[in-house]
Parts: sequence; structure tokens; C-alpha cells
Amino acid sequence: MDKQIRIALAGNPNSGKTTLFNALTGTQQFVGNWPGVTVEKKEGRVRGQKDVNVTDLPGIYSLSPYTLEEVVARNYLIEERPDVILNIVDATNLERNLYLTTQLVELGIPVVIALNMMDLVKKNGDSINVEELSRELGCRIVEISALKGDGVDEVVSACVEAANGTKTVPQHSFSGSVEHALAHIEESAVHDLPEEQQRWYAIKIFERDDKALARLDLPEKTLAHIEEDIKAAEKELDDDAESIITNERYVYIANLMKGCYKKKNKGELTVSDKIDKIVTNRILALPIFALVMFLVYALAMGKSISDGGIAIGTFLTDTANDVLGDAWLKEGSRAILEGWGVAPWLIGLISDGILAGVGAVLGFVPQMLVLFFMLCLLEDCGYMARIAFIMDRIFRRFGLSGKSFIPMLVATGCGIPGVMASRTIENERDRRMTITTTTFMPCGAKLPVIGLIAGALFGGSTWVATSAYFIGIAAIVVSGIMLKKTKMFAGDPAPFVMELPAYHAPAMGNVLRGTWERGWSFIKRAGTVIVLSSIIIWFLTSFGPVNGRFGMVDELYEDETVVTEEYVASVSERMGIPEDEVEPMDDSILARVAQPVSVIFKPLGFGDWKPTVATVTGLVAKENVVGTFGVLYAYDDQDGEEELEENGDQIWDKVAEDYRDFSGGHGKLAAYSFLLFNLLCAPCFAAIGAIKREMNSRKWTWFAIGYQCGFAWVTAFIVWQLGRLFAGGANVIGLVLAVVLLGLFIWQLFKPYKEARTLKV
Amino acid sequence: MMPLILANNGEENIIRKVGGSADVKKHLEDMGFVAGGTVTVLNTINGNLIVKVKESRVAISREMAGKIMI
Repeated sequence: MDKQIRIALAGNPNSGKTTLFNALTGTQQFVGNWPGVTVEKKEGRVRGQKDVNVTDLPGIYSLSPYTLEEVVARNYLIEERPDVILNIVDATNLERNLYLTTQLVELGIPVVIALNMMDLVKKNGDSINVEELSRELGCRIVEISALKGDGVDEVVSACVEAANGTKTVPQHSFSGSVEHALAHIEESAVHDLPEEQQRWYAIKIFERDDKALARLDLPEKTLAHIEEDIKAAEKELDDDAESIITNERYVYIANLMKGCYKKKNKGELTVSDKIDKIVTNRILALPIFALVMFLVYALAMGKSISDGGIAIGTFLTDTANDVLGDAWLKEGSRAILEGWGVAPWLIGLISDGILAGVGAVLGFVPQMLVLFFMLCLLEDCGYMARIAFIMDRIFRRFGLSGKSFIPMLVATGCGIPGVMASRTIENERDRRMTITTTTFMPCGAKLPVIGLIAGALFGGSTWVATSAYFIGIAAIVVSGIMLKKTKMFAGDPAPFVMELPAYHAPAMGNVLRGTWERGWSFIKRAGTVIVLSSIIIWFLTSFGPVNGRFGMVDELYEDETVVTEEYVASVSERMGIPEDEVEPMDDSILARVAQPVSVIFKPLGFGDWKPTVATVTGLVAKENVVGTFGVLYAYDDQDGEEELEENGDQIWDKVAEDYRDFSGGHGKLAAYSFLLFNLLCAPCFAAIGAIKREMNSRKWTWFAIGYQCGFAWVTAFIVWQLGRLFAGGANVIGLVLAVVLLGLFIWQLFKPYKEARTLKV
Repeated sequence: MMPLILANNGEENIIRKVGGSADVKKHLEDMGFVAGGTVTVLNTINGNLIVKVKESRVAISREMAGKIMI
């Protein structure tokens, strides 16, 4: 066989499509995006077949042009015209699944049906006459069990045969008046097209499908002529054209079912229904949900096993951080490079810059994998769909959908997978809103920052940490309500219709594969961005102009002919610090840039260059805020976080002292304002990268970052200015502005929605 | 005719009409909510419904359920 065969795998959501795809391809998969949209595209080579490739189309109910998934799938089918369509059909839900089949067979491409879950049908005591069904539909049907892997080889050989055979011809016909109109359309509009494609286009023209019409670009006169035929049919059948076709498909399928489907019992509740009676029960739903979420959280991100908790994730991540991050990557690489006699600046770049940064992110991987594993488990067994349903009414109140919950839960671990998880939200407006607000949740990397501020200025008080979560949730709720009232997000809440798959025992193969896919995607995304930004930040903190010479500040400061006493005096004046505290880093590009930039933070109470630098380095990775404080305050040893914890008191005192100094005696308030800003402002670069990818638009990415920073600034501003009123020593102008801003917040929160909140359906 | 939200739990009803804007209507129909077909409400929670349509279980918000007439 010389010819490459391309199979397109199509089917309803929850029909076992992914499982079949995995069974077909094994590990030979390529995951990407469909061009221009954030719908996942999976391709793979069929196991044991050199020339057979399969493309996994998005799960769809129909080939109508209304959802992104449907448009993606049908564009692929029309434009790429695969050699064969493999239509997976859930035998336990035959009627609804065949609805898509009736549309697929019209495309003029050979269709092979993989009839999945026949074992379940038989177990229920029902029977399907497969031969009869195959004859009626005019295409080959293979019984399979995707889960067990039964029948997969037969499917492949049936596909290969079909690809070399004749095109599938649709066996169903519509009622007289519709067929009459279709015949007219075929004759007047599409007879130049290849014969096998005429039927599909004719039906789409009849349905007034604007995307298909745009593709054909028919002359006005023909269109007017066709419109008459459509109107005539609509008048006769008293319905709109689209519904006529839909209804007649269902009628045809119902007739088909009569002949081939024998149902033993009717109307009895399945096991899955019985579970739902409890799990989605009006009273029990929320407690059960809270318990499940608590377990997920406790296992992945709670108290580590070594501290007497049950969190496997935290334990693994702590271990990975200590061993991989610090010992191997940072110290290990340093030792090796020193052994090779590499130049110190290069060692600095590689060990302290790149590897330490990468290590910090990789350290999160075990925790993320545990979290992903459990989320995949919930998804595979069918509970995830129920979560969205249970949370929907609550989230709807502040302009988000029930599906926004999962991204936010994941974001308490790490914002990157949190943003990535927003992909399951079909409605674009809801998705954008979720992406914009989800990183308000304090992620794992923000915890050390919270710990630093709580420890340094609030005596380790636990309410600081608790308030951080409260602030995150409040920021999401407030933002949701406020944004929903702006023009960009205004409008009808996305209607909620979602199929709930039957509960079933999770298939470990699927769960592990899903866990790894998400984990790998996290590693790739975080890894690349982190490497780049680590290099940049390292460069900016290590290099700078010293007394007219440019170079590594550490080296230049050792040269007394460069760093003269007068020069030190000038630096001390510029940075506003005593002469004996002048440091090489004060001359770094970052410090020079940060000094003027720190003006932005003056109204927030921390307009000093050190917190400014910490905020900037926080963009690389939030835990860097702590590391930076370590470097900036612990002059004698520059190892950052580790040392900070060990010599904590001493450095914390310095931080506290410094905060008192530059805030005019309001150290705590300034520190809390600093914490607020860092919790709410733009996330780390890696998460910004994820936002950019999921937004798939430069404009919306900038909007999200701008909104986050703006919201953070205003919140910190209000807290600092109003806080000083109670602490004494308020600034009148600042106070007035803060009150005005707070008023605007409240106004935006409580003003009525301009558009109706009810669904315009 | 009454909207689906008023149906009793566990009662099988015949769908009379599916309303709403073109895309909402089409989406409902694609999922199996089609005039002449049957629908059974299995569960309600805060106004949202879980219904059985064809052989699948579908979660549907109150607003959407209001557009399905039985």
C-alpha cells in the first residue's frame, strides 16, 4: 500500500472517542491546537500501520455552525476531505448519536461506524440488529469496546477497506417538499461541485447556513430563486428550514430504531441515576462537593505527610525542591562548573539564574501531577460535569459559569494550569473573564511571600495567610460583578446545557495519560518562559554602569579606582541610603530603573526601590519576591530563601525596620499594602504566557494584565490611604482620592445591570 | 403547553415545542430536545434541572429549560 490513509475520528462528547483514539494510536500522538482557535487538536499514527494516520475531531453533536468545535470539525471535513470518517457511536445512546451519523454520511466521504459499549447494551438485556442497521445506514459497522480494546483491529482494517472502496451514499431522504426544494438547489446552485459533495451543500443551503453560503458565494439571482423554494417548504411544513431538517432526521432515526433496536425494560433508573439522586441532591450536593474538594486539596496541596498531614503532593514537592532544586540544580551545577573552571559570571548565570529559576518551577511538578491525577480521576468517573452543574447557580450570581470553579481550584496550586483549565469553558466571554480573574487566587508560589510579610511584620500571625485566600476570592467575586457590568463583558449569561456522562469506574490508562499530558504541557510552558525571564532578570541585576564604566557590578566594585569615595557618596545620595550600605547591586540596571519606577508605589506606601525590585522579580516567579528580599537585605550571604528562613529574625527585623522608615512609621500597613499588590497584580511570566495562549489575542492578554495590575494598585491604594486615617497621619489628597475610588467600586458593584440578566433565548 | 421547569420529577413528558433564538434552539435540538421526543426531569437543584432526553442525562439551567415547552 503506497497511499497514506487519513482517518478522521468523529463522535459525540462522552462517546468514548478519546479512549478509542488512545487505543488506535498508543503513544504515537501529537497534541496541538486547531489553527487560530484554542480547541485542542490531536493527531496520531495508527499502531502497527505505517501509512494510516488518524485525526481526532472535537466531540460534537451536530455539524451545525454554532459552536467552535462544530465549525472546527466540519471545516476539517469539508476542506481536508479525509479518506474515511470513523464515527464512534455510543450504543447505549443510539438515537442521539445517530443524529450526527446522518449528517456525516451526507458529506460524500466513506464512513465506518465503531459501535461502542455494545457490552453494556447486552448487559441491560437490550439488543441491536447490527446487520440491519448497517444496511439501513449504508455503511460498515464494527462492534467495539474502546475501554477493553476489543474490536480495534477490525475497525482499522474496515477503515482501510472503506478508504479504498466507494463513498458512502446517504440512505435517508426527507419529506416530499424538502426533497423537492433540495432537488432545485442541487440543480441551480451546486451542480458544478463534485457529485458526492452536492447533497451536503444542498442541505446546508436549504438550512440557510451562512458559513456554507459564504463558502459557495452564489449569485444574488440564484439565491432569490432558492429562497422561494425554501419558503414554500417552510410554509407547507409550518416550521423554519433548519428545524424541519433536524426534526426529519430524528423521525428517520426513530423509524430506524424501531426496526433494529429491542429494549428490554423502559424507564427504570440506572445505577448512575441513583448515584445522582444523592450526589446532586438539593441538600447533600454542596456538602459532598465540599468534602471531595477538601480531599483533593488536602492530598495535593495541604499539610505534607512529613508534617503529619495527608498531602502526598506537598511532600513530593518539598522533597523535589530540596533535592532537585537546591542540591542538584543549583549547588550541584555550581560545583561541576567550578570544577571545569568556567568563568564565575557564567556560573552565576547558569546556576543562580537559569537553573535556580527552572528548579523553582520544576519543584512544583510533583504537586501538580498529584493534583492533575485527581482532577483527571474526577473527570473520568463523571463527577467533574456535576461540579460545574452544582456550582453554576452560585457562580452565575457574579457573572461566571460553574465551569470557572475548576480553574480557580487549580490556581490555588499554580496559576499556569489554572489558566489552562479554563479551556473547558465554551463561552468565550466566560472564558476570558475566568482567565482574567483566576490568578487572583494565592498560588503555591505566593505562599512564601505571605509567610515573609506575616513573619516579618505581623509576628507570624495566621490571619494574614487566611486573609490572603479571602482577598483572592473577594477579588474574583468583585471583579466578576464589576466586569460583567462593563461593555466588554455585558450581556446574557451563557446558557447552561451540558451532558452528564454516566458514572463509571475510571480507566487508569486514560487518567494517567491525561495527567501526563497536562503535566508535560505545564513543564514545557513554565520551563521555556522561566529560562528566558531568568536570564533577563539575572542580567539586569548583575550588570550596570559604575562610575562611567559598564560591566558586572560585583567585579567593578572590587576596583577601587572605579568606585571612589565620591562615587559611593553620589550613589548613596541617589538611592537615599547611608554610604556604608551602598552595594554593588545599587548600580545594577534593575536598581537604576526601579528607583524612578518606585514612584508608582509611593501612593501605596512602599515607594522604595527594594520592594519595587522585589515586585519586578516576582514577575519571574512569585517566590522570587522572598529571594530578592533575601538578597537585598542579607548583604553578607546572598543565598536567598534558605538563608532567609535560617537567619529569619535578623533579616525580618531589617525588613520591618526598613518598612517603618520609608513608610513614615506605618510599617505594618505598608507591608500589608505591598502584600495586597503582589497577590493581585499580574502573575509570573509563565502564567502570563499561559494567559496569552489561552486568550489567543494580544489585545485580551494586555487587557487581563492591565486589569490585574490596575485592580491591585487601586485596592492597595485604598487600603493604604484609608488605613492611615485610622493609624493617624492621613494625606488629605490621598484620602479624598481613596474615598472616591472606593465609592466608584461600590457604585459599580451595586448599580443595576444595564441589560436584562435573564437569558435572551 | 407549559415550560419544562414546571414538570414534576420522574414524569415522562412529550416535548411540544422548542423555542429561543436560532442558535440556542438548534443547540437544544442537536442535543436531543426535539418536538415529539420525550423528556423526564430526574432532579432539580436551585432551579437548574437534570433531565433525561433520548438516553442521555443533560444538566440544563432554568433559563434554558424555560424555552422547552411540554
